[in-house]
Amino acid sequence: MPAEVTEPLLVERFRIQGGDYEHGGDAAAQIKAIMRRLGIDPNIMRRLSIANFEAEMNLVMYADEGVMEFQVHADAVRVRVADRGPGIPDIELAMQEGWSTATSEMRARGFGAGLGLPNMKRNSDEFEISSTVGAGTTLRYAVHLA
Amino acid sequence: MVARGHLIEPTACVACMACSRTCPTKAIRVREGLARIKYELCIDCGACVRACLHGAACAATTPPSDLRHFEYKVAVPSLTLYAQFGRDVTPTRVLYALTQLDFDAAYDISWMCEMLAGATDAYVNEGQGPWPKISVTCPAVVRLVQVRYPGLVANLVPIGTARELSGKLLRRRLSDELGLAPEKIGIFFITPCTAIMDSILSPVGLEQSYFDGALSIAEIYGPLLRALATAPPADALTDEISPRGLLWAMAGGEIAGMRDANTMTVKGPDVQYVFDRIESGTFQGVDFIEAYICPDGCVSGGLTMEGRYAAQRNIQKIAKSLGASPAVGEERIRRLLREDFFASEEEITARPVQPLGRDLREAVARQKELEALIPVLPGKNCAACGAPDCATLAEDIVRGEASLADCVFVKIERLEDDLRAREARVP
Repeated sequence: MPAEVTEPLLVERFRIQGGDYEHGGDAAAQIKAIMRRLGIDPNIMRRLSIANFEAEMNLVMYADEGVMEFQVHADAVRVRVADRGPGIPDIELAMQEGWSTATSEMRARGFGAGLGLPNMKRNSDEFEISSTVGAGTTLRYAVHLA
Repeated sequence: MVARGHLIEPTACVACMACSRTCPTKAIRVREGLARIKYELCIDCGACVRACLHGAACAATTPPSDLRHFEYKVAVPSLTLYAQFGRDVTPTRVLYALTQLDFDAAYDISWMCEMLAGATDAYVNEGQGPWPKISVTCPAVVRLVQVRYPGLVANLVPIGTARELSGKLLRRRLSDELGLAPEKIGIFFITPCTAIMDSILSPVGLEQSYFDGALSIAEIYGPLLRALATAPPADALTDEISPRGLLWAMAGGEIAGMRDANTMTVKGPDVQYVFDRIESGTFQGVDFIEAYICPDGCVSGGLTMEGRYAAQRNIQKIAKSLGASPAVGEERIRRLLREDFFASEEEITARPVQPLGRDLREAVARQKELEALIPVLPGKNCAACGAPDCATLAEDIVRGEASLADCVFVKIERLEDDLRAREARVP
């Protein structure tokens, strides 16, 4: 059940470029550094980092460009990832474990095991996905602090 | 202050910033003309000791004169010691030569390494996550996890180290065998690095070290070389050395002795890259990671004499000349496993970096201040302020440990502004 969303204490935005494997993971790393300075519990930090890294790499692999927005609330850390890209035609299918459209190039880099979206959901306390084919995908997820 | 494996000698420090720039956890600041280690961030990797050209950042190993406090003195050398004298000097001769110095006896730990490979195999096969498991052999890696990767503490293998377990066995045995009170027996590790010295002074995973101190390989190298000249030939000596265990001196050696686990080795600066990735959920398919802060494992430790390439060649040749047969029977490993002999004695806890504030709100406020400071600072990372880079200075400022005026660029800008203002006032 989604907690009541309050006014964020802190908002940080990171631009992510599709196809930029070289910097893929940088946004997730910067968010982790911020959480470390804020004293976020290591376990919460780890769960959100796993989701962030998956989201960021999905964007790099499939979308043209996008933004990862990190919000700190009194009761949760929240992330919204919105991209401009091909979108996901069948979200239900994409949420199934093991389902992947990864190319062999992506697989060679260790991605495309079909664990991305389900893994993000597993590691967050709230998870929402919406997508328009031909326009893009938006993910919202959160890990509660308490 | 807790005693640590290395320190800054104030009279030798010239405040040059070499140590601060090289520190992988940004634990050193130079303020008021003196480098100071923030020990809460320090992982005791010894990078500052290597970088210091003035002998100010130095190892705090045990002075050899401390040996005289003990009636019976035992040396337990790091396997890396065997790699210091070329490939023709066998481990048995090195052990003998140690007894020609101030030690009454010297004991090998290669067979303990071989047993630990078996114990680690058994632990990994139990199949309990989180994955991958991370080796605790390198004490600097353990500290890195505690300080920088608190979320990975649960991945550390809850098994003791070859050195401490050997020390434990010797403590048990020697007191009985010699009929001496335990406090009269001094057991000293011969260390290739500051991190192990540190792990003896401030142990992690056990309440108290089984060692009374550690002498550096570099320090005893000269006397040992002389003693080796008179050591009997190898075939006259009978100590049991494990060729498989010997390989633990170098990166890759630990996993070489493991049976069927899916393993990998990481070392040097790559450790932080890989740990960052593990925290983000990658490397899930790996069962076990051996990790070393030094670029090639223990043979490249900062307190060694032989270069790391030659040392690796030496250790491989020596291991090869000993043959491939295991030195330890499997039954012995199984028996010790049943006794829980290998288990670490205390849980390893996270020691995360102090947050920016006392609570989330204060920390967020300071994070915002920090972000506002970044564009104000020149971004040249010149380190003249005493922090290794601009981002670290910004963090120090919001923590109240430095001021914006510490930045020489900001200071010059202010002076120029003052000057212009004064000139404008002149009629």
